[in-house]
Amino acid sequence: MSFLAPMLLAGLPLVALPIIIHLINQRRFQTIRWGAMMFLLAANRLSRGYARLRQWLIMAFRMLAIAGLIFAIARPLASGWLGLSAGGRPDTTIVLLDRSPSMQQTGGSGGSTKLETGRQQLVQALKMLGSARWVLVDSTTNKAIEIESPDSLLNSPAGEPASSASDIPAMLQAAHDYIQANKSGRTEIWICSDLRENDWNGESGRWQTLRESFLEFPQGVRFHLLAYPQAALENVAIRVTDVRRQQTSDAAELFISLKLSRAPVLDSNSSNSKISVPVQFEIDGARSELTIEMDGAQFELKDHRIPLERSHERGWGRVSIPADANMADNEFCFVFDRPVPRVAIILADDPQAARPLELAAAISPDPSVHDSAEVISEEQLAAVEWEKLSLLLWQAPLPKGSSANLIQAFVERGGQAVFLPPAAPSEGEFFGVGWKAWVEEAEEIPVENWRGDQELLANTQSGAALPVGQLQIRRYAGLSGESFTPLASVRGGKPLLVRATTAHGGAYFLATTPAPGDSSLATSGVVLYVLVQRALAAGAAVLGNTRQLVAGAPPESDPATWQRVTGDERAISTEFPFHRGVYVSGERLLAVNRPAAEDQAQVLADHRLGELFRGLDFARVDDQAGSLSSLIQEVWRLFLAAMIVALIVEAGLCLPKLARTREATFKTEPVGFHAPGG
Amino acid sequence: MFPDRHARSFLDAAVLSRLAAVPLFARMPMVGSVSGRHPSPYRGSSVEFAEYRKYVPGDDLRRLDWRAYGRSDRFYVKEFEADTNLRCCLVIDTSGSMNFGSTGITKIEYARRLGGALGYLALLQGDAIGISCVADGIARKIPPRRNPAHLTTVFDILEQAKPQNETQLAPVLHELAETIRQRALIIILSDLFVEPELLRGCFQHLRFRKHDVAAFHLLDPQELSFTFRRPMRFIDMEGGPAVFAEPNEIADRYHKVLEDYLAQIKQIMLESAMDYHRVTIDEDYEKVLMRFLVGRTRAKGGR
Repeated sequence: MSFLAPMLLAGLPLVALPIIIHLINQRRFQTIRWGAMMFLLAANRLSRGYARLRQWLIMAFRMLAIAGLIFAIARPLASGWLGLSAGGRPDTTIVLLDRSPSMQQTGGSGGSTKLETGRQQLVQALKMLGSARWVLVDSTTNKAIEIESPDSLLNSPAGEPASSASDIPAMLQAAHDYIQANKSGRTEIWICSDLRENDWNGESGRWQTLRESFLEFPQGVRFHLLAYPQAALENVAIRVTDVRRQQTSDAAELFISLKLSRAPVLDSNSSNSKISVPVQFEIDGARSELTIEMDGAQFELKDHRIPLERSHERGWGRVSIPADANMADNEFCFVFDRPVPRVAIILADDPQAARPLELAAAISPDPSVHDSAEVISEEQLAAVEWEKLSLLLWQAPLPKGSSANLIQAFVERGGQAVFLPPAAPSEGEFFGVGWKAWVEEAEEIPVENWRGDQELLANTQSGAALPVGQLQIRRYAGLSGESFTPLASVRGGKPLLVRATTAHGGAYFLATTPAPGDSSLATSGVVLYVLVQRALAAGAAVLGNTRQLVAGAPPESDPATWQRVTGDERAISTEFPFHRGVYVSGERLLAVNRPAAEDQAQVLADHRLGELFRGLDFARVDDQAGSLSSLIQEVWRLFLAAMIVALIVEAGLCLPKLARTREATFKTEPVGFHAPGG
Repeated sequence: MFPDRHARSFLDAAVLSRLAAVPLFARMPMVGSVSGRHPSPYRGSSVEFAEYRKYVPGDDLRRLDWRAYGRSDRFYVKEFEADTNLRCCLVIDTSGSMNFGSTGITKIEYARRLGGALGYLALLQGDAIGISCVADGIARKIPPRRNPAHLTTVFDILEQAKPQNETQLAPVLHELAETIRQRALIIILSDLFVEPELLRGCFQHLRFRKHDVAAFHLLDPQELSFTFRRPMRFIDMEGGPAVFAEPNEIADRYHKVLEDYLAQIKQIMLESAMDYHRVTIDEDYEKVLMRFLVGRTRAKGGR
């Protein structure tokens, strides 16, 4: 229970008024000399059950009436926001709005989405509560914007749904920074979210820091969470996993691979476990449809062929499914183009190591893609066409000076570089990683661990692991530096393949070479081939004139220059990178889609949530999408009614019993007028 | 009537003269010392024929009925009812509670008026009058006498009666039943604030001694109504512990207890054939007495 005018609750001691009056009345007693004491004493001895109870009841109802009046004028609010605003109007109210696609899930009966309901509830509640300042942190920019009133939540573009995932810790950090920068007084932070695990990053180490820094604020920060954790009743999400344009001698075709995920998964025995999903393909406006029978949680469609005109080399498309519980994951945009030639250059000290690398880079897995690899020396670096390069394989002492600058710029624009240890490792670091001396093993050792879920050594699309474990390492170089992510390691946890930390592109350090004296990478060449080809593909992906982007990723060019080809009409140009759609930026076609993690429906568990806010002043209420009942309501009428009822009952209890005819009974009356003994 | 001309506050000559018009009768045969206007259990010399009785030697020949002898040749003695005076004993309760009065008059004062008037009326018709003041014991007692000077003593005792001590009516009545000679008129003036069950024994004892017992149950209107607005501290007039009570809270139970008590008293009075009069002391004592006297006139006649 919370109150809009809590100051009036200071009048609550008035509840004791009946007791005080009773006590005063008792002190005002009169003394009388009384003859008929025997009746008084007998009356005192009589059972007082009901009479005593009646007195207490009368007293209780009087107190109740006063309490009802006081509560009524304190304007109570009925809500789940326990301890809502015990101190009256807050100085600053910060709203953290989760605009991620999962928030666009509708309720059981359709209607409003979680985001719309949340916004409306927030506006209604916040308007009632009032605040001196309003601040909105939306999930796309993670920046605190001051807004005029809660109504802005309804009409500001910053409240509209977006396709990017949310980063709640980052939003809280923004709120924290705002409070710190503005020295705001008592602050209330309202979080409207559906508690998706991927948005909350419950495992992130940032929570600990956030918790501590919020606790440091002396003015007190109160957190309110408006949660919409309900899972969808029936929802199918569509995602394009791969688009390829293949050209044969007489025709061109587009191969689209897509994945449908369904939630929640019903029991396979139940009658409606099987559903048919009509998938609509739209290529530059031309539509075709394919019905998919889906039975289970996932469905993957591999290389669905759509014929194209031969001249149609570059374009965009869209796949969509009919509306279901969540509209935001029913559509996926993609762009396609003729494959870019994939160019790799190899700079190697050791020709024995260079040859396998060259072969692995030059043989294309796809006839339509042209791969080329060239072995060069360090002097030729300046003459390399960096803008067409996809991959750099560097088996030499780490670059310095102008070479280093060139390679750094190459990686910065999205290029891929794989460094292998030189014959004589020297001092110095590149991307925070350096070589140490070679470690010679007495016998060949296998690779013990590697990451099969992502990066270069990830499992194949069918889920089979690469034969990394069969590799035999004869010797390897040690790695210095700390800012890297190990992708594979040999016995003793010594890293074999690491990825250095970079903003764009990729810089990998492989601690051995394919030379026969170093490892069996060349002889059992699958791993080396996959590694090099994946690096090449990643490097080539940034070269083409088309780009698949994940909503929310930092754009490479100014979004203000983007032109919308298709997509959400509500999105304003500065927010294009956060909205699903196809955009043109200069010569490039960009497709922006929701992150893959948004399709995972894991919700943060309640106890985890409690841990995240441990020690903070935190209240949570669960609402439902499309709920019509207001989050908070003024309920003073209820209290007034309670007061009236209490007064009526009190009056009833106070009523004297039925009028007695005692007067007649007590009249002087002679009895016994008979003549005894007569 | 007033040899010393000392005016008594509890006597009103006008009332007395009006009351004198109605005689005070006993409900049963009385035994007095001289001839009077009350029936006696014995044969005597009144004009009222009672019965014939066979002559036995030793009977006064003057009472032999010669006419009956002439008719039947047998000796019969003609007997007549005896008329006697009565001995009236006033029993005044002088316990502490008798000092209560909310209407400007206390119960003891009311008792004085009733007692004074009754004493005067009795003496006026030649009956003997005695008085006992009782509280926790017999405070004062003078036996019934019928000379006018004795009335002055009775009035003096009435005047000096001082309400104090607690009520111990039951042992006192038992004692009086034993000490007063049989067949007397005993008039109790009391608030009867004792357990009714205790009184039952007393009254039966009095009846056993062939006394004609009348009781004036004196009650104050406030004791009956128990109307108080504020919380009250009730101090016992008979020296018991004080009681603090919220009248609103206790009134119901008080009335219940009172009603039970009154019903019980009434029952006992009926069972003991008492001449019971419940009197609220705001009532005119003349009316009460008139009702008493008239009632007795109707009930008169037993021998």
